[in-house]
Amino acid sequence: MTTAAPEADDIHLNAYQGPLKPTDNPFAELTENVIRVTEVPKPPRAWYIAFAISLAALTMFGGSIGYVFYEGIGAWGNMIPVAWAFPIVNFVFWVGIGHAGTLISAILFLLRARWRTAINRSAEAMTIFAVICALTFPGIHIGRPWLPYWMFPIPNQMDLWPQFRSPLEWDVFAVGTYFTVSLLFWYIGMIPDLAAIRDRAKERTRQAIYGAFAMGWRGSSRQWHRYERAYLILAALATPLVLSVHSVVSFDFATAQLPGWHTTIFPPYFVAGAIFSGFAMVVTLLVPARQFFGLKRIIRMEHLENMNKVILATGTMVGYAYGMEFFIAWYGANPYETFAFVNRAFGPYAWAYWTMVSCNVIFPQLFWFKKIRTSIPAMMVICALVNVGMWFERFVIIVTSLNRDFLPSSWGYFLPTAFDFMTLVGSFGLFFTLFLLFCRYLPLVAVAEVKATLPEAHAHDGDH
Amino acid sequence: MSSVKDQGPIHWRTLAERDGDPEFSKVAEREFSTELEGDIAEAELSPADSTGRRRFLKVMGGAAAAAATVACGEEQDGIRWKKDYILPFSRRPPDHVPGVPKSFSTVYEHAGVGIGVRVTSYDGRPIKVEGNPNHPDSLGAATVFAQAAVFEMYDPDRSRGPARIAGAKRSAADWASFEGEGRKIFDNSKAKGGQGLVFVSEASSSPALADMLRRLMNEYPQAKWYEWEPASRDNARAGAALAFGAAHRTHVQLEKARVVLCLDADVMSEEPSALRHARAMMSTRKPEAGYMTRLYAVESRFTSTGGVADHRLPLPSTYIKAFAATLDAEVSAALGGDAAGGAQQKPAAAFLNGPKVAAFLKTVVKELVANRGKSAVVVGPSQPPVVHALVHRINEVLGNVGGAISYLAEPEPARPHHRDAIKTLVGEMNSGQVETIVVLGANPVYDAPADLGFEKAYSKIKYRIRLGVYEDETSNASTWHLPAAHWLERWWDARASDGTLSIAQPIVEPLFQGRTPTELLAFILNDEQQKGLDILRRVHAGWGSDDRAWKRALHEGIVPGTAFNGTEPEVQTIAPVKLTAEELGGLDVENGKLELVLCPDSKVYDGRFGNNPWLQELPDMMTKLTWDNAALMSPATAEKLGVGDATWVELSIGSRSLEVPALMAPGVAPGTVVLSYGYGRTHAGRFGGQPGVDPVGANAYALRTTEVFDPSRGLSVKATGKRAKLSTTQDKHVIDQVGRDGTEERLPQLVREQTLAAYKKQPDAVRHAVHHEPLLSLWNEPVSYDGHKWGMSVDLSRCVGCNACIVACQAENNIPVVGKHKVSRGKEMHWLRIDRYFKGDAEDPQLVQQPVTCHHCEHAPCEQVCPVAATSHSSEGLNDMVYNRCIGTRYCSNNCPYKVRRFNFHNYHDDMKDPDNQVKGMSFNPEVTVRFRGVMEKCSFCVQRIRKVTIEAKNHRRPVEDGEIVTACQQTCPTEAIVFGDLNDGASRVAELQNRPRSYAMLEELNVRPRLKYLARVRNPNPELAPPEEGDAKPKGGHG
Repeated sequence: MTTAAPEADDIHLNAYQGPLKPTDNPFAELTENVIRVTEVPKPPRAWYIAFAISLAALTMFGGSIGYVFYEGIGAWGNMIPVAWAFPIVNFVFWVGIGHAGTLISAILFLLRARWRTAINRSAEAMTIFAVICALTFPGIHIGRPWLPYWMFPIPNQMDLWPQFRSPLEWDVFAVGTYFTVSLLFWYIGMIPDLAAIRDRAKERTRQAIYGAFAMGWRGSSRQWHRYERAYLILAALATPLVLSVHSVVSFDFATAQLPGWHTTIFPPYFVAGAIFSGFAMVVTLLVPARQFFGLKRIIRMEHLENMNKVILATGTMVGYAYGMEFFIAWYGANPYETFAFVNRAFGPYAWAYWTMVSCNVIFPQLFWFKKIRTSIPAMMVICALVNVGMWFERFVIIVTSLNRDFLPSSWGYFLPTAFDFMTLVGSFGLFFTLFLLFCRYLPLVAVAEVKATLPEAHAHDGDH
Repeated sequence: MSSVKDQGPIHWRTLAERDGDPEFSKVAEREFSTELEGDIAEAELSPADSTGRRRFLKVMGGAAAAAATVACGEEQDGIRWKKDYILPFSRRPPDHVPGVPKSFSTVYEHAGVGIGVRVTSYDGRPIKVEGNPNHPDSLGAATVFAQAAVFEMYDPDRSRGPARIAGAKRSAADWASFEGEGRKIFDNSKAKGGQGLVFVSEASSSPALADMLRRLMNEYPQAKWYEWEPASRDNARAGAALAFGAAHRTHVQLEKARVVLCLDADVMSEEPSALRHARAMMSTRKPEAGYMTRLYAVESRFTSTGGVADHRLPLPSTYIKAFAATLDAEVSAALGGDAAGGAQQKPAAAFLNGPKVAAFLKTVVKELVANRGKSAVVVGPSQPPVVHALVHRINEVLGNVGGAISYLAEPEPARPHHRDAIKTLVGEMNSGQVETIVVLGANPVYDAPADLGFEKAYSKIKYRIRLGVYEDETSNASTWHLPAAHWLERWWDARASDGTLSIAQPIVEPLFQGRTPTELLAFILNDEQQKGLDILRRVHAGWGSDDRAWKRALHEGIVPGTAFNGTEPEVQTIAPVKLTAEELGGLDVENGKLELVLCPDSKVYDGRFGNNPWLQELPDMMTKLTWDNAALMSPATAEKLGVGDATWVELSIGSRSLEVPALMAPGVAPGTVVLSYGYGRTHAGRFGGQPGVDPVGANAYALRTTEVFDPSRGLSVKATGKRAKLSTTQDKHVIDQVGRDGTEERLPQLVREQTLAAYKKQPDAVRHAVHHEPLLSLWNEPVSYDGHKWGMSVDLSRCVGCNACIVACQAENNIPVVGKHKVSRGKEMHWLRIDRYFKGDAEDPQLVQQPVTCHHCEHAPCEQVCPVAATSHSSEGLNDMVYNRCIGTRYCSNNCPYKVRRFNFHNYHDDMKDPDNQVKGMSFNPEVTVRFRGVMEKCSFCVQRIRKVTIEAKNHRRPVEDGEIVTACQQTCPTEAIVFGDLNDGASRVAELQNRPRSYAMLEELNVRPRLKYLARVRNPNPELAPPEEGDAKPKGGHG
């Protein structure tokens, strides 16, 4: 990750390097380019196709959850000993995806990596949607899904409080906080652009809706001043959250005593993995988005390349973590832990393990080659593989550790059911539906922020 | 920061701003409220300031509450049990306190042998069957069959009334219409002296039934009475007749033996007196006393007796004849003198030359001879009569008669062998001699030998009357089905294996108009006594006319002094045993000449429990198979035959063949295929199979003929390669090399074993099987356990794996069944399971059974991870499960190292929505919550039983005595392997057991501090046969 960030300023990679042909007002041109997407009467045809598919998957998501609510979670393949399976795998997967946005927004913002402006809005949106997907799972995966609110500290007549020793309880706060801060961060960052849409709007309803969300933004320098302070504060708040949320999620496993879960490497390993998968998802989303909405000049190859560098860096970290886990399992000489890892790599779920290793460790190494990390098809394939690999990483951690724990008599083999797959695929439906709606109705690029990186905004810098 | 108001600005935007125009200030204020800024400033300046923090918390709390209000709005309808209204008694029956369970003695008759039980009745409903400590064949324990009767009692599929049946047409009728029709039939028959009237009954020891039979024969002298049991024990009767000239019943008392040899005899779980045998055997295996009876087993299938044995020889059942003849020859030769006369010649059997068999035989002979007078040779019921005869001789020459072996008078010595009886019956039916047949309980249409064509012959009879608890295969082939009273509903009597009489009293009035066989016979006879009770009292008028004696008999559950008289028969010369070439073969596997062993099932017996899901879902003792039978063969045999594990095979013997799934079963004799019968039923009910519901398992009776009745050779196996779906509760899928290595590595630590010799040298060696860091606590213990401190001890040396505890737990704790598919998906619900591990060579493995239930850890990993504190620690150290608090995250299960938690993945009581099924609800123990879907459950150490005793003790202001609290599993354990009690009471049995040197905590290195501890398994191998040091707990690694 750090390979890209500190250099960003040095290479002076601005987000928008001017229009192809000189124009009087690059600011206006930029606004036009981005906001026009929300104004055209009809989005591109590809959007409709994608939206139809996503909506269908979302419907399946709802339907499968409805059935699970009706029948009980036995509709899934969860069993004893593998009491957590797809739903928790999906939860961790989506929380992981939800890391890139805030990382790009907050950490790169604090590090003054200006290249982030081209992608931060969509990455943040992706974060919000990924966390929404993630948040559906803890609620639906429990045996009595009408009672998840018992995990909240609600004063009640029986004086019953949640059990604060449980990592699941920590999750409630960690993910809840992360979602709230990410949402605020995204929304506050969007206010100037929402105001721009409002100002350009010609219809009354459009004006009213965007106006309401623009919260009376008038662009006064006082507003700008407060806005930037708020943004900075939120960035500062969000930065530790990027690290904390997945650390806390990893505690679900690390604090358990199950061999294969009970390892101290999990927090950094999970964070690296989360950023890894998050960036891969951003690339997966932005490549088509910039294509279809004509934003190639704003979201440029350099940005994609930088993200690929981050993927390469975090992928290598994840590979290191895989190796270190094995080393510790051997070095620790705990027979149960040693077995858990041997079983992972060579047991009945070896196929899942090696899928994970090849997708997460081997393929991203191709990004060492500039040709590959700047090739659109190559990066699409590799990023898709990374996402597959990261889903499998969670599957491997959760399922292969559970399927063979201490007593061989209890060993079992988890097999997913159709409902497991419907819920998994359906969650992508939810994610893409939300993202496509975002592409259509909200500014895909942080116009105001990109403008600040334009040469024109730094008249004195550029003259040297 | 609040600069707008205070001073004039230096930089300004408009003149109005510079001049401090009030209008501008207002606008500016609206834009940036200084009030709010003040708050933020305060918070920023003094983050530790308590006012700021409180205010912050207040605001955040409000937000959380608001969020919660939204979430709370959800309706909870549909997840609560239906509200019901009850009425109080207007006049309370004497002795009855509503809600206080009562216990009654009665007797359960299984295949002709009575087992005394005590039944808990809750407001008039029997809900739990437990053994009767007074009864000689129970001694307080109960078999799985007796205990599972609670489900059968309330089975919605039970027959609910008489029915007229004509082929596929069935019309409900009532007793009156049967009586009308029946009267004519029986009066006609009587006019002919009973000519053409035939009765078929299941085996029964009931004197009342015998009395009715006598009366019947008086009135209908030409009538015929046949007894039929598919799992017949008549070989023993025939064997005794062969040895002594008349049938005598062998009475085995294993507690009197020092060396026991079982020949194809599963004395621990299959014999009618299995409960007694298991108790007796274990009472003489006490490592602490430095002495253990040595048990040898020779058997073709792996039984629980073989599992307990110190030495087991897997030998095909058909070779046991030659083995017994050799044993006779060698024992007699060793003893010399009188014994040698009339001894068998040692047969020239190829298998005897094998080094293993030869060594085994040599050692056994040596031991038996050395312990003559204090040994016992026991033979199983499926062995041919001649083997029984030989064993009688061996026991006699060894002087065991009068010690562990004694003889009792056999009732009805003239009764023909069941197999011959049914053969004769079919002959009569085919010849048209039979006009009316009355089938009392047995199910011959389903289980008669296949070559007889019973059903076809049966259908030729004009009047076919069937009295049965279910409308089963035989009922469906009959013209009249009559509902029989369940044994919990009837007045009856039965004798124990030693003849001790017990009176059965109904715990409840018949739910579905059922009548007993005696009552039906009373109707046929137009007897003056029509009621079961009156019939009984007439039979037992001698001692029973005294009301006090009668009441005492009902109360105690036995009539003392009613055992059969002892006899002292003399063994006659036994002709040299004829052995066919097949019986003298070797141990090589040759397709077409394989041995087929058809045996009763450990769960559904001969099929009569086919519709009992408690039993169907019970894991088989060895294979852990549920809801199925399978052709069991050893891995080497299977490999030789090209059969894959869990694949379909075609078994053919004679002209008959059957497709069944094959299952590799370590320890089955080479060349033997074992298949249990009792499956493949077509009219059992919704669980066992009926029209529209596929039968469970394959019907092995299709292969069972009068020729292939007992173990026979000539079987060929054809592999099909088709995969079979079998649901086991252990080893759910093929374990790969990684798994095998891992199991191998950890098993010595999980299931610790020692030999008796090693135990004597170092009794606490098992405690050193695992070396770990000192087990310290990071915190001061929050619970001091000042009052009680409950704990449990399980003796692995005593467990025979009979499954009785599992069914006891199921009945006590309202544990649902989930069905075959869900078992295969790992969703079974048993709170208590018996882990079974094999050790050593797959062809001749050793076996360990380990009951595992919640360990009630003091540092329970499950408690720490529950986000809603639904599982929490009690002040007495119980790991409590609060069902109504549980939201079902299942984290507790993930973190449980013993994996004893079970989850309600579905609503397993959904079927009760159907009003027809609500009868099932009567079987529930009202003291235990019936769990809804979505909650976790697990063993509670029978907390309801603990509470009952502690409350009572408190009311009487007395301490709880040791042994007063008995968990359900402990109560029914025939070998008393499970002991529960208070660890704070230094004198308690459990405290003493947990302090024994061979007591260990499984996975103690995790520092979970389990309250359940195991006593290591101690074997007593003969050093001449055992490889040195085998079976010892070898410390892994050195000290330090």
